[in-house]
Amino acid sequence: MTPQALLETAVLMGLFVLAGGGYGGLYAAGRLRARSGLIRAGGVCWAAAFAIAIAIAALTPLDFGWKLLILASAVVYAIIPPVAWRYLERMHSGEQATE
Amino acid sequence: MYRSQKLSLRYYAAAITLFGVMILFGLLSALYYLFPSMLFNVFNFNMSKIMHIDTLVIWLLMGFLGAVYWYLPKELGREVVGMWLAELMFWVFCAAVAVVAVVFLFVQYGGANEFSMWFINQGRKYVEAPRWASIGIVIVMLVFAYNVIATCIKAQRMTGILWVLVLDLIPLLVVYLDAFPVVTNMSVDLYWWWWLVHMWVESTWEVLIGCVMALVLMDVMGTSRRIVEAWLYIEVMLVLGAGILGLGHHYFWIGTPQYWLSIGGFFSALEPLPLLGMVVHSIYDAGMHRMKTANQPAFFWITAEAFGNFIGAGVWGFMMTLPQINLFSHGTQWTVSHGHFAFYGAYVCGVIAVLYVAKQHVSGAATLTGRAWKWSFGLLNFGMIGMVMALLLAGMAQAFYGRAIGGSTLMAFTAASENLWFTSGMWARMLFGVVFAAGYVVLVYDLLTSPKRVPVLQAQPEPA
Repeated sequence: MTPQALLETAVLMGLFVLAGGGYGGLYAAGRLRARSGLIRAGGVCWAAAFAIAIAIAALTPLDFGWKLLILASAVVYAIIPPVAWRYLERMHSGEQATE
Repeated sequence: MYRSQKLSLRYYAAAITLFGVMILFGLLSALYYLFPSMLFNVFNFNMSKIMHIDTLVIWLLMGFLGAVYWYLPKELGREVVGMWLAELMFWVFCAAVAVVAVVFLFVQYGGANEFSMWFINQGRKYVEAPRWASIGIVIVMLVFAYNVIATCIKAQRMTGILWVLVLDLIPLLVVYLDAFPVVTNMSVDLYWWWWLVHMWVESTWEVLIGCVMALVLMDVMGTSRRIVEAWLYIEVMLVLGAGILGLGHHYFWIGTPQYWLSIGGFFSALEPLPLLGMVVHSIYDAGMHRMKTANQPAFFWITAEAFGNFIGAGVWGFMMTLPQINLFSHGTQWTVSHGHFAFYGAYVCGVIAVLYVAKQHVSGAATLTGRAWKWSFGLLNFGMIGMVMALLLAGMAQAFYGRAIGGSTLMAFTAASENLWFTSGMWARMLFGVVFAAGYVVLVYDLLTSPKRVPVLQAQPEPA
């Protein structure tokens, strides 16, 4: 790994997770306030995370296995916020039903 | 108020005092980077760093103990069993910490012999306290375990949170014993030492703070027991699933077999996934309560914990966790940046939230208002973010110039330490450290002052 590639790869990896977090945060805020604009902004963040994952796979000298793991993570990132949200809603509605 | 809650307040007072000591030695340690010959042979950098890190471990531990002693009687509806022993142990704990601090400050180190190990410095990084004090910590934790388990038995009642807490007490005690063996092979020694650092501080503490946060969420936000317990079980599963083998990222360069590169990298890369779920959960909870709670400071600190944990452990950790990056970044200020942010997000925010819970109960205020807590919240968070950004830049300069270009030679290390990016980062860290310290001062002021009484609107009688 060249010195420049080291910093580029690390920064891309940090941005990848940050964009994933942005997606989770905006998606949750959008669902909470029923604002489709926020959910769309969350979608843009996820697209950014996916684009960064592709950039990591295409441009960095990481081993093939790590690139595959990052691409797979990007796909899993897409699922986590909606699944977590549905689970939370189901738990809370179940709770209200028992009260 | 239960007797154990009074003990809890003492633990909180000791914790917040040691928090201050930790900041003081953090600032001093930061100064050595700016003036390397400062206090040379009087009080060297290594001792300042020991004080900084050891007080961090102790104040957080005291905060956790205080939180459990606070909530245990509420959870079980009865006084904690063996209170006299718990109270005695509190004073033993404080006395031991004070004696060890005095020895570290004035004796500092001894010869390479048994006496030094038993009475001056055990020589193991992060658990430098001499052997007698380490045994003392084990006794304190044993009594703590006895208090929790005996109270559960006496009350003939168990909750999901308490089951998790009781089971967590086993590794909390057992893994700390890793501080004791004397192993002459450095690879083997480091192999077990990482169990203490990663498993004890990162895994068992994660579960412990998870239990505490579950209790705080029920208390502050009125979240139902079923929900917090469900999330606690998920957290335990994730700690067991990804956290334990995530330990492997510490095994990259200590002489362990090569397969640790794959295991450590893989499981560490999974760690941001549950943190993403936590971000969604915190926004859901905040929204459901419309940011309205009787204890806003605690609420804000709980929320800060979710985000701090995601960014500090998730983003900062992921940047440097794969072996190909870690080869260059480990042991630089980059790691320091990650360590600061992750500890702050995962533990410090949670303990501060607990302090505000206690403040509200002790003061009897219906709601906590005022501006001081907002200032301390802002200053502490701003100071921490500034510090970790400065450390990140300095660490990247070290990895770039000292490791990747210079090849990790002594000359390259020296050149990287004189690089403008590194020196600027160190100055910026110092300045943001002062901001953080200011936040601490305001925090202490706010915790010690009585909250303003909010007038309650009286219903006017209807005219006849």
